[in-house]
Amino acid sequence: MMALELEGISQTRGSGRRAVEALRDVSLSIAAGEFVLLEGPSGAGKTTLLAVAAGLLTPTAGTVKLAGQSIGALSSAECRRHRAACVGFVFQRSNLLPQLTLWDNVLLMAAIGGVPRTEGEGEATRLLEALGLAGLTHRRPRELSGGEEQRAAVARALVHRPAIVLADEPTGNLDSVSGRAVAERLAGLAAERGTAVLVATHDPRLEPFATRRVRIADGAIAAG
Amino acid sequence: MTLIRKALRSPRTRFWLTAGGIGVTALLVMVLGAAFHSVSFSVAAYTGQPGMDVWVAPGGVDNLMRSSAFLPAHVPESLAVMRGVAAADAIVRSYVTVRDESTPSPAGRRLALIAIGYAAPSGSGGPPIIAQGRAPLDSTDITLDRASASRLHVMLGDSVWVNGHAGVVVGLTNGTNLLSTQFLFANLSAVSEASALRGRASFAVVRRAAGVPPGELLESIRARFPRLSVYAREEFIANNVREVAAGFIPLLTLVALLGLSAATVLVTLLVHAVVEERREDLAVLLALGADARALSGALIREALVLALLGAILGIAVAAALGAVLDRALPVIPLAFQGSDAARVLLVFVAAATCAAILPLARLRRIDPLEAFRP
Repeated sequence: MMALELEGISQTRGSGRRAVEALRDVSLSIAAGEFVLLEGPSGAGKTTLLAVAAGLLTPTAGTVKLAGQSIGALSSAECRRHRAACVGFVFQRSNLLPQLTLWDNVLLMAAIGGVPRTEGEGEATRLLEALGLAGLTHRRPRELSGGEEQRAAVARALVHRPAIVLADEPTGNLDSVSGRAVAERLAGLAAERGTAVLVATHDPRLEPFATRRVRIADGAIAAG
Repeated sequence: MTLIRKALRSPRTRFWLTAGGIGVTALLVMVLGAAFHSVSFSVAAYTGQPGMDVWVAPGGVDNLMRSSAFLPAHVPESLAVMRGVAAADAIVRSYVTVRDESTPSPAGRRLALIAIGYAAPSGSGGPPIIAQGRAPLDSTDITLDRASASRLHVMLGDSVWVNGHAGVVVGLTNGTNLLSTQFLFANLSAVSEASALRGRASFAVVRRAAGVPPGELLESIRARFPRLSVYAREEFIANNVREVAAGFIPLLTLVALLGLSAATVLVTLLVHAVVEERREDLAVLLALGADARALSGALIREALVLALLGAILGIAVAAALGAVLDRALPVIPLAFQGSDAARVLLVFVAAATCAAILPLARLRRIDPLEAFRP
């Protein structure tokens, strides 16, 4: 089953002379369990592609199918619910909520994704154990190291068993050891769950985990 | 959702400081309202005493508080012999200066009080509630409001000077404090003498004979004395409360509005700060798929909890303050009412809801894509 299907996506920002084509006729399909690297220089359109794939940006042209559902056909509320259920995010910064403990941060995503509480707690326990964070569940983000924070973000991205995880430079702020640990665990846990992963990155340390690499330049797919 | 509410809570110190600020404004409104009720209660307690069924006043006079005219001398006696009248008593009302010593000195204390002279001990128009001691019996006996005694530093048995005439404090009263002044009760002849009003009466109060319909008695007195003003007890009470309210209501309204504005600004400030400081967190929550309505709901709930807590805090402190003042400083009478507390809660909650609207408008402008910023 396809986790994500992008067909002829174009995305234009602004209008008239100031119009910028952020994406040009992009088509990309990612199957369940695939780990795809989206590589390209800064400004190539990687983050825009992730935003379009998540339904956070409406493309100027083309169709987006998330877990088999065309999101263009959904109302904004339906699209939000579909995103909450089918997409996990790992951002460059962990973006954990500072008022919540690590445990609550993970459970919050389960709740947003519509996972029943008991089920969410079980999955959160398993993930935090697998990510080496079981002893830190009552800590707040400010009490964690950068690597721990990003591993917690991985747990948050996977707790509701999404069809796809969209990761934007997930190792960009980490040292080599922490970056490798995060990439390894994200790839491993996603594969176990059959979750597809699309990672926008410059980081060559992620290459060994990729099942496929896609290059994007000037808003167009250069190689797939 | 509990976790979203938890995630958007404001820092505790700021939350409690804001709640404290709202509490102080609620306290202000409650205290002013309680002072107003206390004065109204005092006016009603005196003018509405049992046995004072009809008030007869000089023509055009409709209240006890502000009048300087007098009845023709024969009126009380003429009323007393009318059919349907069980008793009619004269009342002299004047302002007097009361000192705690006979020779004025810079250290001496003095008060201007409303003196009520009545046919003590059995006539109508005496003190409504005796807190300590007794009502006046002879011409030197004086009964003072508790607050006046406190301000003059006198106790039962002490001597005071009323317009230069000696008297002895034999009783202290409750429900006779009008905040700006208080009532003093003495024998009719003593007040008349002290105020140079011998043979005059400010009002006559009539007790209705058993079985006589109130309306019938009122009409017959009006027919007998067409040039005088005649009021049923309830009407006279209402006139006096209105007279007191006329001075109080504008100030009460102004302070209540200022207090409410301050509370609204505080709540707006707090919710606004939460939205601005949590802009990134809100963007992340929106990107993850959180419902914007759930986020708005969490912020409105925060504002409501804040307003409710602040108002409850203010009401509780006001009640405690009232109890302490009644014991330690009876000069400031406070009569708190449940309806005032309910009104404060209701209005503060409504203000908090309105206050949350402006910050919520900013929430709608947050772009979930901000979550992708490095």
